[in-house]
Amino acid sequence: MTAALLAQANYPAPMHGLTLAHYLFVAAAMFAIGLIGFTTRRNLIIMFLCTELMFQAAGIALIAFGRYHLNHTGETFVIFVLTVAAAEAAMALALVVLLFRRRETLDAEEWQQLKG
Amino acid sequence: MVRAGTSPCRLPLPACPSILLALFPGPRLDQVVNQVALYVLLALGAAGVLVALPRKGLNPQPIGMILAAAAGGLLVLLMSLKAGEHRPNLFFYIFAAVGLGSALRVVTHHKPVYAALYFIMTIFASAGLFVILSAEFLAFALVIVYAGAILITYLFVIMLATQSPAEEESEVLAEYDTRAREPLAGVFVGFVLLAVLTSMMFRGVDDLPGPGPAGADQSLLAQYPGKVMAPAETRPEIEAMPGKKFAAALDEQKVRNIEAVAYRLLADHPGAIEIAGVILLMAMLGAVVLARKQVQLDEEAKARHAASLASEVTRSEGAR
Repeated sequence: MTAALLAQANYPAPMHGLTLAHYLFVAAAMFAIGLIGFTTRRNLIIMFLCTELMFQAAGIALIAFGRYHLNHTGETFVIFVLTVAAAEAAMALALVVLLFRRRETLDAEEWQQLKG
Repeated sequence: MVRAGTSPCRLPLPACPSILLALFPGPRLDQVVNQVALYVLLALGAAGVLVALPRKGLNPQPIGMILAAAAGGLLVLLMSLKAGEHRPNLFFYIFAAVGLGSALRVVTHHKPVYAALYFIMTIFASAGLFVILSAEFLAFALVIVYAGAILITYLFVIMLATQSPAEEESEVLAEYDTRAREPLAGVFVGFVLLAVLTSMMFRGVDDLPGPGPAGADQSLLAQYPGKVMAPAETRPEIEAMPGKKFAAALDEQKVRNIEAVAYRLLADHPGAIEIAGVILLMAMLGAVVLARKQVQLDEEAKARHAASLASEVTRSEGAR
């Protein structure tokens, strides 16, 4: 029993929809947590960490669907997600440093006059 | 508006806008998880997250974390009971628990450095999930790119952009780290989104084309999961194979995960790779330009700075 649980005993096998649902729930929950963090935290750096959480969630969903449909397209898309995440991190952190040097605070509410 | 007769929805109503389907998920959702339990547990999780978010005054974070974890765990457990033999293997539960738990901690921790470290835990957990899903290459890429590069950048910036505490004072947390902004509204929006996402997804699960639909590469199954190495005797041929021959090898499942991903990437999305390269270049240039810019402190910040210095001077004089 334990061996069957531990080893991926029934693999390789097509993934059942109910198994897929588990992974989708994890992805959705992670996305929601990231969204909550983005809307409620006031530290600019933590806000950007939360966007990375949302990227992660999207990646898990993409790979789970790729496994379900038995092709590698989901994985190739996650590569692009990684690229965009890296670019976003570089730009966002440069901006954060710039903003910090101007006001010496990371509080997002300090920059309220930015809203249009 | 959806016209009667042409309505794509399956409820026996003359016309039902698809939003109604989300509100009344019906028996199809019940196949994945009991819908009453789903919404009750989501509400419980929302309450837990709300308690766990940082705020001034009484802030029983551990209780909130336990509440949220119990709700999430119970929900996944109920799903597994419904799934029966189709439940995922044991490692899924471990990685999901670690991933979601540390994701919650990223959002609720007072100190940015710890939040970043918990985010690294999330990365490792999702890399584990990727391995279970037979995406070995991406699991390693994730650890290298995220945990190795992006998170280190974050840590550098956190250390650059925090005020050092004045001497003789112990470290004080910044006010903006200890008080969440509109936690009730944020948690409400987040969990309503989660409820809608889960009910829509779970409703659609048995609508998906079956596992491995026609046209999918059924033969790929043989290399799932964890068949990291192909049989040794086939290796040299594959490495010398160009184009179409490689596609044939892909069909005969003689390739590793990384080779298959590379083939899909280069065969199907060659243009997107170029664009990704341009995006990375522009991000690098942009970051360099932004970081080199000379900035002056705002008038306001200067005034604040002067005020804090003045108060320090008067305090030290008073002490003397």
